Amino acid sequence: MLNLSNLTMEFGALRSISELDLTVNKGEIVSVIGPNGAGKTTLFNVITGIYTPTSGSVELDGKSLLGLDPARINHAGVARTFQNVRLFLNMSVIENVMSATYGHTRAGLFSSALALPKSRKEEKLVRAKAEELLSFFGSRLTGYRWDQPAYSLSYANRRRLEIARALATEPKLLLLDEPAAGMNPKETQEITEVVERLRVEKGLTILIIEHDMHVVEGVSDRVVALDHGVKIAEGDFDHVATHPNVVEAYLGRGAADRK
Amino acid sequence: MSYLGQQLVNGLTLGGVYALIALGYTLVYGVLQILNFAHGDVYMVGAFIGFFVMVGLGGPLAPSVPVAIMVLIMFLVAMLGTGLLGIVIERFAYRPLRNSTRIAPLISALGVSILLQNAALLLFSANIRTYDTSSYIPSTLGFSFADITIDGVRLFVLVLSIALMFGLARWVNTTQVGRAMRAIAYDRDAAVMMGIDVDKVIRWTFFVSAALAGAAGVMNGLLLRGVSNGMGLVPGLKGFTAAVIGGIGSIPGAMLGGLLLGVVESLAQGYLSTNFSDTITFALLIVVMLLKPNGLLGKRAIVKA
Amino acid sequence: MSENRVPEEIQENAAHEAAKLGIGTDEWVAQHEERTARKKGLKGVPQFIDESIPAWARWVVLLAAAFAFGAFVDNQYLLRIGVNLGLFVMLSYGLNIVMGYAGLLDLGYVAFYGIGAYGYALMSSEQLGHHWSTWLSVLIIIIGTALLGYIVSLPARRLFGDYLAIVTLFFGQVFVQLVLASDNITFPWADDYVDITAGANGIPGIDPFSFFGHKFLNIRDYYWLLLVLVALLTITISRINRTRIGRAWRTIREDALAAESMGVMVNRLKTMAFVTGAAIAGLAGAIFAAMQSAVFVSGFDMPLMTMIYAAVILGGSGSLAGAVMGAIVMSVLPEVLRVTNYSEILFLAVLVLTLAAVGKSVKRFTINIVSIALIGFAVKILLGFASIKITPTEEWVVGPVSRALSHWMYVPLDRVLWGNCAFVILIVLIAYFTTTTPRIKTILLPIIGYLGIFLWEVRLVTDVNTTRQLLIGAMLVVLMITRPQGFLGKPRVEVL
Repeated sequence: MLNLSNLTMEFGALRSISELDLTVNKGEIVSVIGPNGAGKTTLFNVITGIYTPTSGSVELDGKSLLGLDPARINHAGVARTFQNVRLFLNMSVIENVMSATYGHTRAGLFSSALALPKSRKEEKLVRAKAEELLSFFGSRLTGYRWDQPAYSLSYANRRRLEIARALATEPKLLLLDEPAAGMNPKETQEITEVVERLRVEKGLTILIIEHDMHVVEGVSDRVVALDHGVKIAEGDFDHVATHPNVVEAYLGRGAADRK
Repeated sequence: MSYLGQQLVNGLTLGGVYALIALGYTLVYGVLQILNFAHGDVYMVGAFIGFFVMVGLGGPLAPSVPVAIMVLIMFLVAMLGTGLLGIVIERFAYRPLRNSTRIAPLISALGVSILLQNAALLLFSANIRTYDTSSYIPSTLGFSFADITIDGVRLFVLVLSIALMFGLARWVNTTQVGRAMRAIAYDRDAAVMMGIDVDKVIRWTFFVSAALAGAAGVMNGLLLRGVSNGMGLVPGLKGFTAAVIGGIGSIPGAMLGGLLLGVVESLAQGYLSTNFSDTITFALLIVVMLLKPNGLLGKRAIVKA
Repeated sequence: MSENRVPEEIQENAAHEAAKLGIGTDEWVAQHEERTARKKGLKGVPQFIDESIPAWARWVVLLAAAFAFGAFVDNQYLLRIGVNLGLFVMLSYGLNIVMGYAGLLDLGYVAFYGIGAYGYALMSSEQLGHHWSTWLSVLIIIIGTALLGYIVSLPARRLFGDYLAIVTLFFGQVFVQLVLASDNITFPWADDYVDITAGANGIPGIDPFSFFGHKFLNIRDYYWLLLVLVALLTITISRINRTRIGRAWRTIREDALAAESMGVMVNRLKTMAFVTGAAIAGLAGAIFAAMQSAVFVSGFDMPLMTMIYAAVILGGSGSLAGAVMGAIVMSVLPEVLRVTNYSEILFLAVLVLTLAAVGKSVKRFTINIVSIALIGFAVKILLGFASIKITPTEEWVVGPVSRALSHWMYVPLDRVLWGNCAFVILIVLIAYFTTTTPRIKTILLPIIGYLGIFLWEVRLVTDVNTTRQLLIGAMLVVLMITRPQGFLGKPRVEVL
């Protein structure tokens, strides 16, 4: 589904991603791991069009995403969450989700202003859809919380809301940037289940950045390890976790030698 | 040729004044990331202080001290006065808003600007005052060079503005407060954790930036322009333009932008149209902003996601 | 470890009670936060109004009042205030879309108003000798300003925040400078100069609106027109705000990058906001020109810009009701201040309210009022001995309030000098007041109160325009410090 080949991203003299090849197949859950500064979030930013890569190609279902702006890449079927959670804080919880349906709804300035039947019907559908998506997280994001401002949510709920918002864009491919960061063990366990359910119930292909190895082990079909923008290992969890290059990247040369 | 040279000289003089105003915008923006819209009005206050010091010392026709000393006192008092005003403005209009929304300081600054303009109107009335420079500094002073005349006042203003700029650069680069200022501009949170007294540095920043505007105000008076309560708007905007053209937050950028703007304005007046010179200046700004949003010497910010 | 354990049944009971009240559940926690956030006393008034009166009821009351005003008021001056209010509301609505919803800081907004006004003036006066039909000129203006809004929005695609503010500010200035300079243009192909805008002299003799043969000769016609327009705009804008486009505008305000990643076409929406705001301002400008029958470029400069911004921010950026409230304050208040007798009453009312708010208890409040009275008498008696010349009572008394005050107030002969001194001292004292200890504050408060009344009576009532501007300036600063979200706005959270 997603095909990156020979991807390079440079900021001046700094080479953040270096000649990276990566393929994610339909229905797969792939984890990207690596120490801080390995280029993981940069990779997401390149895929979603926030950065334009220096060279290489990014393809979704055989169509190039290069040169498209982030909104169009989203329309093409890529949705994401952010490492530092970027919600629309002063909008209500449900509006956060409803706003993300922008790409596949039509109501314009005039039809909304005149409240034409078409736009009213669409508005009802959008609301129903948002309610359904928020219910995906069980009782966590339902009922009275819908009309509260997003800033009143707890940290874990903000992460959940961000996922619901990404789902509202009707993606094929979902990019999750450290979905379990800052969560307690119970919430982390929940996130692991949520990721699996996203694949089963929503039929999504998922690319996930995660530092928590329990999550990585729990969800991934395949793991890709990056260091300094270079792919140093790829395969199933056990293969990558014990790969000498990976151990070295995380713990230093000595650790790899002792092994 | 001589006409061009004359316009260039006039432009540089004017540019020196703009650069001083621009430096004030840039210093404050560098440290606090706010646009100090009241800056033009601080400049106006400086011009008034200079005027009243001159009147207090016997007026233009019968100064009670030698002219050189009178001018010196005018500058010192105006710079000190506006500097203190800058501190007061920061304390009451900006400090309470340091953790507020992005737009709050901007609106507060508009409020201060209105307050200063109308306080001046109330206290000094709407009459336009003039420094009558020619009655104590003869216009024959100065020198000619290949058909280009630089009269004494222009020369003085040009030299003083350059001296002030160098003084500022030295201050920012060598003093402890100056270094702390750059540290805060780079990363305020980190600076706080390194034990830098942010309040003190911001106070100093506002003092220096306002004092420069005060000096510019007196220069404006000496260059024989009228002093009135609304005089701050256009030079304020132009100083601001200069800061933006140079790259707001960058000190050399503000100097370059100021001088450039002065020259462009002077040339536009001389060769294109007196009527449209302001339009041309402002249009120039818009073009620069579109082509190089971070200004000529500004750093490009990386978008973080 | 404490051995005093609570008996089990009590524990159980407490737990049971708690469960019944819902204590500890998510819902209770959320509501608890709301309860503790509730402000008490005077500060709670905006919140109380906001929560206890439903929005539709407020609008109905407002509409009824506006309707009654148009139907029963015959005074031309009052009607004119009403028309100005209507224009102000339109401008606030437009700016509210650009700034309040989309979060774009457009400091050149007022130029669209000016372009609308000048556009209509040029199409309907002797300046260029055109007298086009109202329909045509208004249509051209709406399309023209929308187009200009589109052009101005192009930089907004690349710039945001302060930078956008700068560029738009200069757009506004370019408009003013162009109008000023376009009275004397020599084109390369012509010998004589051309006068397009009459520069600072303005354009007089503009035709009134005329629809279906009905000429708008009475100011009341404009009032009804504006009432209908404002009502329509209120309905349509609030609908847009609630639905797709409005939501998308607000996502840009909140986080443009996240919005873009969620599929929101940020640039197109920015443009849409600019275009809508510009068209509304342009239409308002055309109405203004037709109503005034003369336009002057100085009326479309920074002072008006600040007034519109003040209106939107005062009421609460992002709220239509707030925009109306802000517009009422900003357009009616100056008129009230113009009538010295009203302005005295207003000032004293505000002073008393401030004292009540600061004093916190009835006792304090009484002490403050009495102290102010005593200071007044003391000053009058003491300075009476110093035999400084005073202004004869007849010269400064303007109404019943100042007549009552004249028995108490000391008014020196040189009112300008003494007033200026009082002004400077007052500012210094207020600055000192905000930073000092509570004990000194108690002493200072009555002195500040007295100086305030003195300054008002001696200096400010005679200089209405300056006073008004001073008050607006002070209000903006104080508002930003105390309630940056405005009177009817919701508190905002921003991650910088």
